[in-house]
This record gives sequence, structure tokens and C-alpha cells, in this order.
Amino acid sequence: MGASKKESVEVDKKEEEKKNRKKTQRTKKEKLSTEESLLHLKQEDTATDYKVFSEDDASEDYKSVEKSEAGDSESSGDEGFHNTGSNEGLANEGQSEDSEPDQGGEESDSSEDEVAPRNTVGDVPLEWYRDEKHIGYDIAGKKLKKKERQDKLDSFLANVDNSKNWRKIYDEYNDEDVELTKEETKLIRRMLKGKAPHGDFDLYAPYVDWFKWEDSKHPLSNAPEPKSRFIPSKWEAKKVLGLVRAIRKGLIKFDKPKEEPRFYMLWGDDASSSEKTGHLSYIPAPKPNLPGHEESYNPSLEYIPTQEEINSYQLMDEEDRPKFIPKRFMSLRSIPAYENVVKDSFERCLDLYLCPRVRKKRINIDPESLKPKLPGRKDLKPYPATCYLEYKGHKGAVMSISTETSGHWIASGSSDGTVRLWEVETCRCIKVWEFGEVVQYVAWNPLPELPILAVSVGQDVFLLNTGLGNEETQRKVKELLHVATSTVLDDSGNKVSAWSWLQDDKHEGIRLRHFKTVYSVEWHRKGDYFSTLSKKFTQRHPFKLHGLPVSAVFHPTRSIFFVSTKKNVRVYDLLKQKLIKKLENGLRDNVIVGSRDGKLCWFDMDLSSKPYKVLKCHPKDITNVAFHRSYPLFASCSDDCTAYVFHGMVYSDLNQNPLIVPLEILRGHASSNGRGVLDCKFHPRQPWLFTAGADSLIKLYCH
Amino acid sequence: MDMDAIPANVTRFGLSTIVNSLLKAGNDEWESQPFDFVIDGELVRLPLEQFVLAEGISAEKVLEIEYIRAVAPQKEDEPSLHDDWVSAVDGSCPRFIFTGCYDSFGRVWKAAGECTHILEGHRDAITSVTIVSPEGADSVTVATASKDQSLRLWKFDTEEHLDQPAKIRAYKVLRGHNASVQSVAAHASGNMICSGSWDCTINLWRTNLSDTEGDLVSIKKRKVKNNVEESQMEGEALSTLVGHTQCVSAVHWPEHSTIYSASWDHSVRRWDVETGKDLSNIFCGKALNCLHVGGEGSALIAAGGSDPILRIWDPRKPGTSAPIYQFSSHNSWISACKWHAKSLFHLLSASYDGKVMLWDLRTAWPLAIIDSHEDKVLGADWWKGDSVISGGVDSKLCISSGISVQ
Repeated sequence: MGASKKESVEVDKKEEEKKNRKKTQRTKKEKLSTEESLLHLKQEDTATDYKVFSEDDASEDYKSVEKSEAGDSESSGDEGFHNTGSNEGLANEGQSEDSEPDQGGEESDSSEDEVAPRNTVGDVPLEWYRDEKHIGYDIAGKKLKKKERQDKLDSFLANVDNSKNWRKIYDEYNDEDVELTKEETKLIRRMLKGKAPHGDFDLYAPYVDWFKWEDSKHPLSNAPEPKSRFIPSKWEAKKVLGLVRAIRKGLIKFDKPKEEPRFYMLWGDDASSSEKTGHLSYIPAPKPNLPGHEESYNPSLEYIPTQEEINSYQLMDEEDRPKFIPKRFMSLRSIPAYENVVKDSFERCLDLYLCPRVRKKRINIDPESLKPKLPGRKDLKPYPATCYLEYKGHKGAVMSISTETSGHWIASGSSDGTVRLWEVETCRCIKVWEFGEVVQYVAWNPLPELPILAVSVGQDVFLLNTGLGNEETQRKVKELLHVATSTVLDDSGNKVSAWSWLQDDKHEGIRLRHFKTVYSVEWHRKGDYFSTLSKKFTQRHPFKLHGLPVSAVFHPTRSIFFVSTKKNVRVYDLLKQKLIKKLENGLRDNVIVGSRDGKLCWFDMDLSSKPYKVLKCHPKDITNVAFHRSYPLFASCSDDCTAYVFHGMVYSDLNQNPLIVPLEILRGHASSNGRGVLDCKFHPRQPWLFTAGADSLIKLYCH
Repeated sequence: MDMDAIPANVTRFGLSTIVNSLLKAGNDEWESQPFDFVIDGELVRLPLEQFVLAEGISAEKVLEIEYIRAVAPQKEDEPSLHDDWVSAVDGSCPRFIFTGCYDSFGRVWKAAGECTHILEGHRDAITSVTIVSPEGADSVTVATASKDQSLRLWKFDTEEHLDQPAKIRAYKVLRGHNASVQSVAAHASGNMICSGSWDCTINLWRTNLSDTEGDLVSIKKRKVKNNVEESQMEGEALSTLVGHTQCVSAVHWPEHSTIYSASWDHSVRRWDVETGKDLSNIFCGKALNCLHVGGEGSALIAAGGSDPILRIWDPRKPGTSAPIYQFSSHNSWISACKWHAKSLFHLLSASYDGKVMLWDLRTAWPLAIIDSHEDKVLGADWWKGDSVISGGVDSKLCISSGISVQ
């Protein structure tokens, strides 16, 4: 819009110029501003086009318009455009007259333009055409021929002659000479002087504040808020995205570079600074003690030892002897030279460089917090703790004890060659069997209705009738013990067997003779079978063993049989008669194994063949271990005359580890021949523990 | 007593001398003897000053001190020797003492060293004895329990005067337990006895001679040396109370329809005889050896077991099974405890540490310690109301008399 307006205005002015040129006699009051004149120069061709049209049909209208414009300019005088016109009206009169031929030339130019438009090469370097014969192309694409150059001398002479020569400028683009008008030169002069191009433009016109400040309570614009204020900026988002990418790529880093401390401890006398350096830190030598009163040259009398004391020092060990004996001198002058100076300082030097000084790092840990959290002993009651009853009667070390299923009786075998039967409650010895040889092992038949005792003595195993129970059970037992002999003899008679069954009349039982010493007898839980361990092999289980067997146990509920040899524990399945597992070193299914090195190992059969827990509490050999049948207790006894009672709780939740808590150390047995407690057995129903000692006593520890 | 003031630091002995001197002033023939003093139902065992402090009695208060004769044996009789361990004693009949022995014989003693009857027949040690009908005019019924899994009932005439102890055979053998019988107690009427055994049951038996009930199984004719034929009945258990899980070590039948029992399964149970159900169950935590019911309202249960503490429960106290008294001066298992028949406060206990202790509920210390045994005491009882009889592993029956229990 604005552009077209301007066009129209320009058109007006061109027409005015035309009028000026055509009607020179008329006074020209209107002048063009410099820019417009320049524009005019460029766009003369278009202007002329307009003129061509306008002259034909609307010349009279233009005159009227021009008149009115002139009238306007005279009346208002507001616009500089018209002002200039009015101001320079007189000066222009003469000029216009002078420039008439030029205007004619111009006219010819314009007429030329009309015929052949001017150069159209555009804004290209003109030297491209320097050697050409044309300067460019007109609008129809025809070459514009260069003008014939005048002879330099002629042109110079012509110029000298022409007084207006200085106004002429060569236009290289169009290859023509242009003569500047007076206004143009004026304008150039003003610009050269640094003034405003128009003479009557006041740079410092007083400022008119068009805004009415009073009672304008409302914003300047009543326009609604633009949408852009409510939507997030796209460009900000892009910038943030860029930053985020840069951060991700690691191009932007946040941690600031460490500031080097400008100042540091020169002498580094605090401990932390020396540690920070990371070098071998200097540890100051311990300072020698300051001298006390006794090292004064004139100490008080109480510091001075008497002669007796000095003599007694000689008897003391050199280490304990006091280094310095105080002496008294009347004056400083009488003090002799210290005879040990060299020795002392030498020793000090030795101390300083031979005694390694170590910086001890003290760790601030509460030792209580390192202990595993175990339930208190009080919560785990009942467990055997106090010895109330003693079973006296044996003359030698009690090698083995065994409890009857109901807990009414116990049997014990001793190295004095006797087996004794005791009443638990009253410690009364009910019965004594004499064997005359060391009794290695006793075992009750686990069946309550068959009160049979298996005893291993030397190379024999005796099955004894305890004589308990009423007539009927007695009859049964007698029958069993008798019949058993004959049948088994029949069975094994044709084999070369390692044992033989004999009737033993003296003890009213069966005698099984082995070739080697029998160590241990163990009943199966049903009371039908029992195992014996002798020096070379075990019987009743045709298993091959490596190493000498030490002990054998039946599983309390399953058909599993444990044999411990000197190296490891083997687990056999009795039904399939094969080895199930080998427990190294040495119930779910837990097995405890006491070893000769005083270690007690807790095996979990389901987990692995390595012990779940190793309790090293006995300083001497563990002689026996025992589980309680109903209470979560197990015990170990050792040659150090103690028995340890542990709480061993196994949870049905497989994720929970068994809880093992040491409960009590049972002391009381005396050592005899280097042996302490030889056997321990739990009471089958009470949380009581029987211990058999080498001191020929059996003790009952109650809860 | 018209006394104004006594010094605060006076002890029991001081109080005793004061009372003795006062009594002597009233009665010239008075022989001084020890007294016990009761303040607010509590026996004085400390100097008065400390006692008042310990009891929290205001020092301003006028103390009323009651004096009673000190309960302590005055006389120790010569011990009566047995052939083997004395496992049980019963002194519920003032005319004689009945003992059971590990040599399988029961013995009746008229006084110290005077054995009148020997009861033969058991094949194993006697574990428990009881006098079934102490009030019988001429003949007395007694029952014994033995390790041979049977009980035997005996009858004898106490008024017989004999130079030699008479040998008696049981008139009835009660079989039915599957393990050794540990304890026996008689109903007050004398018609029934109950027994506890190692087979975890309590059996009830009839004691009557007549076989109208049909519990007679057989009459065995036996030939004894001199060809005298004796009849011996065998009885079967009338009913069995099942519930204990371990050896029933003590039974007591104080009332018509209630039996108390103590067991190694750590419980004291009260049984209803009619229904055979256990009415209440006190859990103790220790294996129990002995039980007796008596004291205030004949309802306090005293029991001792596999630890040195004598515990007394009050089953009438609701909602608690904690013992109301615990006496812990013994050093070993407690083997017997008996309430005094007349007194509300006094009871005795015997222990494996060889001591018999007399207790008063009003003080935590024993009134007297009878230390006449050299080894475990297995049984003890009151006799005639003023004596304590006890038997033990040293095969002695000791009688300590002259105990004045009001």
C-alpha cells in the first residue's frame, strides 16, 4: 500500500517536472527533495511512460491538481517539500532557464529511453565490458553500442571552453555524461559539510510530545493479548533441547574445576594435612620424659635412697633396676660430668631409628555391635545347667552311658570291667554285671518292651537281659535271647564270618565274639538291628570303609546309617545299601560331629557336605556329642572336663538358617589320666544331660 | 501384755528372753524356751528395726507382737535301721509309722526301733506307701506301690504285742500298670486308692475285701513254708486317668472327688474322679517329684521336684499359674513335702541334700532344719502332729519329736 502511494506521489512529481520543462515561462514553485530527484533519475523512463498516458487524456486535470497543491503549499507551509519549493523559488528561476538545453538533452535521453531502454546488465562489475564494443543490453536484449570516444585533447579543450564542465560527471554504466543541477551540487556541498542534506531540515526541532499523559488510565493498546504469549516458545524449547543434548554428550560439564588453595600449611603440623599428601608420613619420635624432682642436683631427702635400697638394687634384675639413683650435691659446681651421656644418647639414637614407629589407626567400632544377635539364654530355657545328682559306684573311668527310652534307667560301662544299671531318679545302682575287661560301649535297646542292653567288652558284644519289667516281658526277653542264638548260628554257621554267636550263661545273654576289639555298639531305632564297630570292619553292613571307623550312628527316623572314620563321615542308605554322602572333616537332617581337634561341626544334610557351622570351643578332644530327641538341644563333651550345651533350633522354613546358641558350660568332672568327660547323653524326655567322667562319676545336669 | 517399749534393735532372741523372763515372773516353774514372733502375719526373722523397715511399717505405729512357740524339734530319737534304702514313710496314723523299703518289704514301727510288722510279697523295691484307713479300730489297711508294677494291700492288727516282728502277706494284689508304680494315695473313706506310674497313667483301685463288684480276678492258693494256705486276691483297676505324658510321680486324694497329681511332664493336674477329666493344669517347668495339698482351706498345692525350690500354688487364684510361695533353701532335688494336718501355715520338705526343713508360710526362711540323714532323704512325713519322720538312702528312719505346732 505504502509503496503504491509513494509511486503515485512520484508520478505526480514527474508530471510536475514535465510541466516545468514544458512551461518554463511559468514560475516553478515546487522542487524535489534530493532523494526524489535521484529516484527520478533512475525511474525517468517509467515516469515518462506515465506522462505519455497522462498527457493524452488528463492534462487539464493535472493542472488543476497542481494548482490546488500550490494553493495548499502556500496556505499550510507544514510540509518541508513545499517549503523548500517556496524558499528557493527565486533562485530556481534563473537556473531553470539555464538548464533548458540540458533538459532538452534529458528529454532526448528520455526519448531515447522511450525508443531504446537503457542498459540492463544490472549490478555487475563494469570492467567486464571494458574491452567490449557495447556497454550492455537494452530491455529487448540488444547490445548498446559504446559511444565513439572523443579525442582526449579535443575533449579537454571542450571542457576548458565549457564553463559548466565541472558539473559534468561521466556515468560509466550508461556511458554518458551527466550534468549536475545546481540543487544537486548544493546538496552535495551540504553533505560534504556534514549537515542535513536539506537546508531547511531542523535537526534540533523542539520535541512535541503528542501523548496525552493526563487521565490515561488504560493501556495504550486495547488489543487482545497475542497468542504467542500463551504458548511456549518454540525457540526457547529448541535452545533448551540443544543444551540438553550438549549435556548428554558431555560437552557441558557442571563440576567446576577444583580450586587450588592459594595458601597451604607450610609446616603441616596438623595430622590430617600430612595424611593428605599421601607420602610416607613423618611420625614424631616419642619425647623423652622430663626430669623429675629426683633428678635434681639437690633433691629432697625423701628421694634419696638409703644404702640398703641401693644394695637391694644390685639384687634386682637389670631390667627392673632403676636407671638413675638420685644423689645430692651442695652446689652446681660440684656436680660431676654425667658418665652415661654417650651411652644414653647412643641408646636414644638406637631407639629413634631402630624402633619402628607405627601410626596406629584406631577404629571406632563398638565391639558389641560385631557380635551376632542371639536370643538370650533365659529365653531358651530349659536346658541343663546345674548338677544335682551324681551316680557313684564305678571304680574306674566311665566309658559309656546309655539311657532307657522312658528315661527311668541308665546303664553305664566302665573301665573297671563292670556295667551298672542305675535308677535315674534316686541314683540307685540296681544291677551290676562283671566282665573283667574294659567295657567300651553300652547301648539300650530302643524298644521299651525289650529291655535289652548291648555291651561291647574287648572282642565281645554281650546282649544282656536287664531283668526289668514284669514277668511277661521277662519271659519274652529270655525267649528272644535264647532263640536268637540258635537261629543266627544256623544262618552264619556256613560262612566264614567275622563273628560268632554264643550263649553266655553267666550273664544270661548272648555273646558275639569278634576277631578284633569292638569299639561301639549302636541299635537301630526299631530295636531289630544293631551295629558293632570293631577295629577292622563293621558288621551288619557290608560297606567298604576307608580308614578306621570311629563311631556309627543310626538315623533316628530314616533308614540312614552314619559311620565316622578317622577322616570323614559316611552316610549310608540301609535300604539300598549304598553310600549316600560323604561329610568331610570329620538333621531337617542335621548331623553334628565332634572331632579330635576340639571342633564341633554342624552339618546340614540337605545343603552340602561341608559343615554349616564349626564351633571351636573345646581346647581338648571332643569325646562325644549328643542331640536331644525332643528339645532343641545338643551337647558335646570333651577331655577338658567340660560339657557344652548348645541350643540348636532348626526351622521348618527352609530359608531360615538353623539357630545355634551356646548355652552352658557344664563343669564338675575331674580329670583323670588326662581324660575328662568321656560320654554325654541327654535324658530322652527331660532337658537333662548325663555326663560320664573319667573320674568314675556319672553326673546328671538338670534344668 | 503390759509392756511399754522395747528397744528397736532387739532381735528374735532378745524378744524371746523378754517373753521368757515375763513368763517366769508370772510362773516360777516356767522353763525358758525359744519363741517365734508374728507381726502383721509375718514371722520376725530380722532385728525389729530392719524388720519394720523391710515391711514398710510406719515407725510411729504401735507394733503388736504375737508370740508363739518356736517350731523346732526338741528331741531326736535313735534312728531305726532298715536293710536297704527307705523309700517312703507314712505317719498319718498316730499309732504307728509305716515305711517302705528298697528291699521290697514294708515295715510297721510302733516307735523308734520297734518294728512290729514286716510286709512281704513285693518282688522289687517299694516306691510309695500309704495308710488307707487309719481310723480302723483294730485292723489297719495299708497300701504299697512297687517297682514290680503292682500295688499290694495289707491288713494287720496294730494292737498285737509281739516279740518278733510279724510277717504279713498282702491280701490283695493290684496289677494293671505297665511300668513301675511310683506313687499311691488313699481316699479318705479308705474304700479306694489311686496310684501313679511310669506308664503315665493314674489308676483307681478298690480296697474292699469283698468281691461283690466283680473286680476279683483270681484267688491264688499259695503254699507257704508251713503249709498254711493263704488266699490272695488280684484286683483290676477301676478306672484309669490318662493325660500325663510322663511318669506320674505323686498323687494325692484329699477330697471325695478330686485327685491331684504331679508328673515329670512338668505339670500338676487336678482330676475329677467322676468324669475322669483333668479340671486344671498348672505348668511348673520342672519335673515334679512330690505333691501335697493342704494349708489354708486345704487348697494350697505344695510341690517339689527336680530343683531345690519348694513351690506352693493357690489354685483358687484366678488367671495365674505362678506359685504364691517359693522356698529355696534346699540344695538339691526335693523328694517329699507334707502339710501339717492341723496348722494352716506349716509344712515340711525333704530333699536329696539330706535335710528335712520345716516351713512356715509367714516367713521365707525355714523354721528348722533337721539334718539327721547322711544321704538323700527319700520320704518324710508328720507323725502325731508333733514329730517329723523321715527315711532316706542311709537306710534310717529318723524321728524328730517335740515340735510344737499350734
